[in-house]
Amino acid sequence: MTKTIAIAGKGGTGKTTVAALLIKLLSQKGVVLAVDADPSTNLNQALGLPLDDSKTVGRIREKMTDDVSKGRFSPSISKPEYLFSKIVESLAESKGFDLLAMGRPEGPGCYCASNEFLRASLDQLVKDYKYNYIVMDCEAGMEHISRQTTRDVDVLLIMSDPTIRGITTAARMKDLIGELRSKIGKVGLIVNRVKGELSPEIKKAIDESGLQVIALVPEDPDIAGLEMKGRPVTELPQESPLRLKVKEIARSLLL
Amino acid sequence: MEGEFHADMGPQYEGEAIRKEDLYIEFGGPKAAHKFELATVKSLDEIENEKVEIIGPDIGDLKPYDEEKGGGSYPIAVLIDVAGGELDKDAEAIIERRIHMFTNMIEGWYHMNQRQDVWMRISKDCYKKGFNSLRELGEIYILLYTSEMPIIESIQVTIITDEKKIEELLPHALEVYAARDERARTLNDEDVDTFYGCVLCQSFAPTHISIITPNRIANCGAINWFDGRAAAKIDPDGPIFAVPKGELIDAIKGEYSGVNTIEAEKSLGNYDRVYLYSAFEHPHTSCGCFEAIVYYIPETDAFGVVHREFKGETVVGETFSHMAGETSGGKQIEGRLGTGLEQLRSSKFIQADGGLARIVWMPKELKERFKDVLEKKELYDKIATEEDVKNVDELLEFLEKVGHPWIKGEVELPT
Repeated sequence: MTKTIAIAGKGGTGKTTVAALLIKLLSQKGVVLAVDADPSTNLNQALGLPLDDSKTVGRIREKMTDDVSKGRFSPSISKPEYLFSKIVESLAESKGFDLLAMGRPEGPGCYCASNEFLRASLDQLVKDYKYNYIVMDCEAGMEHISRQTTRDVDVLLIMSDPTIRGITTAARMKDLIGELRSKIGKVGLIVNRVKGELSPEIKKAIDESGLQVIALVPEDPDIAGLEMKGRPVTELPQESPLRLKVKEIARSLLL
Repeated sequence: MEGEFHADMGPQYEGEAIRKEDLYIEFGGPKAAHKFELATVKSLDEIENEKVEIIGPDIGDLKPYDEEKGGGSYPIAVLIDVAGGELDKDAEAIIERRIHMFTNMIEGWYHMNQRQDVWMRISKDCYKKGFNSLRELGEIYILLYTSEMPIIESIQVTIITDEKKIEELLPHALEVYAARDERARTLNDEDVDTFYGCVLCQSFAPTHISIITPNRIANCGAINWFDGRAAAKIDPDGPIFAVPKGELIDAIKGEYSGVNTIEAEKSLGNYDRVYLYSAFEHPHTSCGCFEAIVYYIPETDAFGVVHREFKGETVVGETFSHMAGETSGGKQIEGRLGTGLEQLRSSKFIQADGGLARIVWMPKELKERFKDVLEKKELYDKIATEEDVKNVDELLEFLEKVGHPWIKGEVELPT
C-alpha cells in the first residue's frame, strides 16, 4: 500500500522545508514520489535538484492541448499513453525518491479530458513504480487535491506560523476538506517557529479551529543560514532540531 | 524456449518500471538525440527469416550509467521486418506497437513511448544475470512475434546503436510515421464497428454525451477515436466507453441505431435520436467544453463558426461566451452546434447541411488556422471575417460580391 501524505499551508510557514525533510527521511525506508503541487515554492531546490520549468505536468498538458488544437498532434498516438510517457520523462529521479512538479493550474478552456487522462497517468505511475510513499507539497488552496489530479490522502498536515492569522488560515483549509471529493484520512496541525510556549490566544484559536496539533516545531537556527546561501535544506545537520522534529512527526504518524 | 535466455518473460513483468537507481544502461529516451523503432511489411524474398543483426556497439561494449558521472544513455533504432501472405501496410503500426509490450514482458527491461521517442531501460540485475547482448533482445522479439502473431510468416530484426547510421535512417522513419498519420486521418466511420462515448462532462451537463467516431472528434477537441479506443481499453467502465454503432439508419445525416440507444440511456431519456453530421433536427448535444460553436444565421441560411479564444462580437452581434451560455448544458438545439475545432477538417462535418461550403463567417484566426482545407475547397476567399464585415447586412453584401457558392446556389446537398 502506498501512503499519501500531503503538506499544505500558506507561503512562509516552512511547509516546503518540512516536506523536503520528510521526503528525505522516508526515502530511507522506501521509495518516495515527491510531488511539488505548489507552483510558487520550489520543492526541488529544497531537495537540491535542478529546476526544469519545461517539465511540469502543467506544461505537458498545455503543450498537448495546444498541439491538439493546432492539428499538430499525431492522430494515431493515444493521448492517455502520450501523457503517461511525458510524465515519466519529466520525473527528476534521485536516490530513494522521484520528484514530479505539477506546475501551474490550467488556463481557460476545457480540461476535463486532459485532467482525466492525467489522473489515470498518475495512478499508473504510482502502480508501476511501486512507490511506498507519496509526499505532496500543496499550496493553501489545495488545487490539485480538489481537482482530483491527486488521489486520496492518508495524512494531511497543515502548517502554520504561531500567529492568529496563521491559525485562522489553517482552520479555513480544514473546512475546505469537506468540499473536496478526495477522501482525507487524518488531519493534523503543525505550528512552526514556536518560541517557547504558545500564547493563550493562539491556544484558544487552535481549540476553536478543531485542529489537532501534531507538533510544535521550534525555530531552527541552522535553516536560515542554509536558505541564505540557497543550499538545500536536506543539508541540515542530522541532530538539528527541525530534522529531529520531522523524525518525531513521522514516528507519531506511524509512517 | 525461455531457458535459452538470460531473463524471464511474461505479462507479469509488463508493469515493471526501472528507476535510475536500478538502471544499468538506457537506449533512446530524452537524453539520446537519435532513436526510433519501425516495423515494415516486406515480401518474403526480402527477408532472411529469423535473422538478427546488430549494427554498432552492443550492451557489453558500452559504458553503463554511473551515479556520479551520469552517462549510460545511447541512441538506438529497432527495425522489425516481417512478411506474410495476409499482411498489409496497415498492420505495420500494430506490429510496431507490439515492441512496447514485448520489451516490457522481459524481466529487467522497460520500454516507453513509441516511434522517434522510444526509450528503453535495462536493470542492473538483468545485466548481472548475463543479459549483455542486444542479439538476445532480437531473438526474444522473434520468439514472441512468431508465437503471438501467427499472421507473420517470416521476420528479421535489426538493432542499430551506431548513431551515424540511425541519423541516416531516421528521415525515412519520420516519413513513414507521417504517412501513417495521414491514413489515420482518413479513417472513416464505415471502416469501424465501434464508436466511443464520453460522459466526462456530465457533472456540468447531465444529459450530454459526446459521440466519438473516426469522422467526429469529441466536442472538447481532446479525444479522437484512437484516444477513445485507448481509454476504453484501460477502463471499460470509465467515463469513456465503447458504443457499438449498430445499424446505419441515415448515412448522410450520420444516424446509427447503436448511437441512438446509448443517447437515450445516457441522456436520461431526454433524447433518443442524434444526427452526427447535421446541425438541424437532432443535432449532437453540447456540454460546456466545446472549442467552437457552429451557429445558424437565418438571413444567409448558412452558418458562422466562432471559437472560444475569439473575444469580440460575431457577425450576429453576440460573443462566444454569450452564445456558449445558450448552446451548452447538454441540450439538442437546432442550428446551434458545439464542436471540436478539428471537426472542420472532417469530411463529414455537417455534411447533411452542405459541409464547409455552408460556412459564411469565421474569425480571422480560425480562417488562417484552417487555410489549407479552405483553400482546397476554394472557400478561403469566400468566407468573411471580423475584418471584412461588422454585421449581417455587410455580410450579405460581402457574400454577393465574392460569389459565395452557397449564396449562389452552387452547393448541392447530398441525398
